[in-house]
Amino acid sequence: MGRSELTDTLIAGLLRGNVYALGAVGISLVFGVMNVVNFAQFSFFGLGAMLSWFFVSELGLPFYIALPLVLLICAALGFVINISVVRPLAKYLPLAAMLSTYAVSQILDNVSQIAFTAQFQVFPEVLPTSNLAIGSTRFGTSDVVMLGTTVVIMAAMALFLKYGKIGRAIRATSQDQEAALQMGIPVGLVQNVSFVIASALGGLAGVFIALYVGVANPGSGLNIGLTAFVAATLGGLGSLVGAVVGGFVLGILEAFGIHFFGDTARQIIVFVVLIVVLIVRPGGLFGKVPLLSAEPLTGTFLGKGRPLRIPRWVWPVAFVVLGVAVPVFGSNYVLTTGTQVLIYAIIAAGFTVTAGQAGVLALGQAGPIAIGAYMSAVLTLYLGFSFWIALPLSGLVAAIVASILASPIWGVKGHYISIATLGLGIAIVAVIQLVFPQGLYNIPVPTFFGTPLSTPLAYYLIDFVVLVITLVIMWRLRRSHLGKVISSVGADEVAALASGVRGRNYKALAFAVSAFFAGVGGSLLAHQYTYIDPTIFTMMMSLLVVTIVILGGVGLSYGAVIGSIILIGAMELLRFTPELRIIVYGLVLILVVRFRPGGILVRKS
Amino acid sequence: MKKILRRAAATSLATLAIMGLAACSTAENAAGGGGSGSADGTVYFGVSAAQTGQYAQYGQQFKEAFDLAVDEVNANGGINGKKVALKYEDSQSDPKQSVAVAQKFVGDPDISLVFGDYSSAASIPASPIYTQGQLVQYGFNNSNPDFTAKGSDYQWSTSITTTATYVWTADYIKKQGINTVGLTYLNTADWGIPAYNAFKGEAEKIGLTIVDAEGVLDTSDDYRPSLSKAVAGNPDAFVHLGYGPDAAKIVTQLRAIGYDKTFYGGQDEQSFDGTPDAEGSVIAAQFIETNPDADVQKFVAAFRAKYPNETAVTSFEAGAYDALYVAVAAAKAGGTTRAGILDGFKQVKDVPSVVYGTITLDPSTRRVANPELTPTILTGGKWVAAS
Repeated sequence: MGRSELTDTLIAGLLRGNVYALGAVGISLVFGVMNVVNFAQFSFFGLGAMLSWFFVSELGLPFYIALPLVLLICAALGFVINISVVRPLAKYLPLAAMLSTYAVSQILDNVSQIAFTAQFQVFPEVLPTSNLAIGSTRFGTSDVVMLGTTVVIMAAMALFLKYGKIGRAIRATSQDQEAALQMGIPVGLVQNVSFVIASALGGLAGVFIALYVGVANPGSGLNIGLTAFVAATLGGLGSLVGAVVGGFVLGILEAFGIHFFGDTARQIIVFVVLIVVLIVRPGGLFGKVPLLSAEPLTGTFLGKGRPLRIPRWVWPVAFVVLGVAVPVFGSNYVLTTGTQVLIYAIIAAGFTVTAGQAGVLALGQAGPIAIGAYMSAVLTLYLGFSFWIALPLSGLVAAIVASILASPIWGVKGHYISIATLGLGIAIVAVIQLVFPQGLYNIPVPTFFGTPLSTPLAYYLIDFVVLVITLVIMWRLRRSHLGKVISSVGADEVAALASGVRGRNYKALAFAVSAFFAGVGGSLLAHQYTYIDPTIFTMMMSLLVVTIVILGGVGLSYGAVIGSIILIGAMELLRFTPELRIIVYGLVLILVVRFRPGGILVRKS
Repeated sequence: MKKILRRAAATSLATLAIMGLAACSTAENAAGGGGSGSADGTVYFGVSAAQTGQYAQYGQQFKEAFDLAVDEVNANGGINGKKVALKYEDSQSDPKQSVAVAQKFVGDPDISLVFGDYSSAASIPASPIYTQGQLVQYGFNNSNPDFTAKGSDYQWSTSITTTATYVWTADYIKKQGINTVGLTYLNTADWGIPAYNAFKGEAEKIGLTIVDAEGVLDTSDDYRPSLSKAVAGNPDAFVHLGYGPDAAKIVTQLRAIGYDKTFYGGQDEQSFDGTPDAEGSVIAAQFIETNPDADVQKFVAAFRAKYPNETAVTSFEAGAYDALYVAVAAAKAGGTTRAGILDGFKQVKDVPSVVYGTITLDPSTRRVANPELTPTILTGGKWVAAS
């Protein structure tokens, strides 16, 4: 690596880190004062980019007018989102608030897509991008201005937080919200201000993305947002210095990582760095680990949700409807949609033991799903196994591999474990992509004594039987001694520890059980699709599993069935309004969370 | 009040769940042997594509071209007097939804052919369903050779395969007197890797040296670390095997780090065409809107008249426009039933095309026989055929 290549890579890393740092500060700020992970922040990146394109390219406004306009709009939107959706929920259910920020981000992205079209738009060169040089390394005024702006903003933020009245209130609130409230600090105002600042910073990061990258579309924010999120976690959620340092560290590491290992390795690098840091420092580089950290899911729903009483007769009726009425009367379209509902219900029902009982909100289920799918495909395609043997085997392999990979992270706590598992899921799929860069074709369909079972009805019935088995296992598990021990870890980890229960081991075990069913689900998907490639196992898939579980009632395996019917069925049902499909979907999600923040079905505590 | 609210919420949720369960069970229950046309004699084609989500841009381009072609066909007497109409279903190019869409189309007796989907990950999982429903799945945009090669009799495509495109590209670059290239390719299973393998294989054969090849992702925004490595040996030219938006980012950043030799790559697509640094880029084009050919000019003029806000007419629109005419030709040749259209596809010959001049399908590969490409240069934001 020559000297100029070295400086090239370093500069690339600094510029990239700059955007991450801006985004991470916003995420950290909101997290500090509200304890909510804010997915809507991701959308502000895309929105900031599109708005600045619209003002500069379409309306012909000068850049120095467009920039404050963008910040203003993002800030105003942030305010509205906070008072309408986030704050009412954040007070007592951060998790429900997180789910609604996800819904908000879906709505924002799609409104932006309707307003600005889905096209990638070319961002005009408002400042020269290649007019300066250090040695043989070229960069532009644009880059210098961006870095300079960040430095100024960070300095201003630091001063504001140190000396400003509201700034100090922000710090007090993020240290201890209840104590701050008792000291007469207007916590509501503080939260609004933080949200507004975070949204404006998100918009600014979006403008910088557009300036730096040259083209943008409404979906541009997702990847940058995710990395900014990781940067905030790396630095320590709630720590602003940490967010800035995290952003730059990640930017530079990524740049050098790509230089040596290629772009494909980027996600692996990002998440390996994250996981290693979290193992060594569970609170991130600059974050403090509180002595008693509440897991995001711990005990959350037991006391707060209102249980819906389910009369006994519902069970046989549901069994008859799903197992007899649908197969007999459903059209092939309903059956095919049904297969997807059932497979996701299997995956999500298995996931309830991790999310509900052990209290770990793992965000990377796409990882074990992918392991199961690939394992099953390889076993049947190349090793001559039958589907019926490959199905449980792929679940087993998913459980074993995922457990080994996840074993170091169980000491990590709170939201950090969610991010760590999110990273794990993405890294698993990235590794699979390195091993099998091409898709796998012609995965055999299930057969029964030589008869191929490839009709929608056959798939539906197979999936239904597997779901019933899954639910029975989950039910037995919950009622067993083991299940009660796992629940105790989720309900109160400190009390469990005090009683001699090794929390981490039981979390790991719960995760292995979930991974088993994820693997089984992956296998079912692979044999139905007959083709798999890594683009199928996305972060959206992981998020879908989590939303199904949260929607259905986090501790209830049968709730997952309801969640799956609504979330996958609704997407089909909303076909009558193609343009508004996602927006309506988001609104439905927000309403459900608003009226049943603990999930639709809640277990009696 | 609270109680009422709670009850209302519970009721609405229950309703929602029931509706979700019954998701369109109002729809058909008539599978198999369909496609004999609807009651009023209209011939329906289905379109499975992304209208929302990550790939919505392409779905939008397809729709505009399809709608234009349908208008023209109907104005000129339809299919032997029968009107043509399209039924769109949004798949978000997500396999979870594309299989449901496939089943919906298969079960809809009006549908006699389906266009789509966009990506391999959405198209290929739906293929067995179309095959079982004996419904032609016309993946007009599927350049992945395996879509047809590993598919059944019911998968057809008029997209030139990735392999053919990049073998041709490597030959063309070598003919320009270039001996060394730096290269980036999209590290994707369905498109980028087959493209790179085809290019590399041909380059080795003809003595074109690839000094460094970097796999990149189209979802990345910053390619500088890969690029500074790829041009470290100062190659004669730079090649990017990818799509328009990623090529736009790459060429911008390539120029920003000071590399100024010819860029072979990009795509006739709005964001790439409008990127100032893309000027002078060279690609092997299937379609260019500046092509003086009368059919092309007629199409471009009609497209602009119908969609005055669109700044560019690209190969995406052209491919979809052609596809509708090919489907109509097949229906005219074999009849408007599902079986008739399949039969018609085997006979498609010399159908006028804005991409290839004329299209003749090869029933053994279910692709276009002998597709031709044109070297084109981006000049002043427009693609112009190289002399």
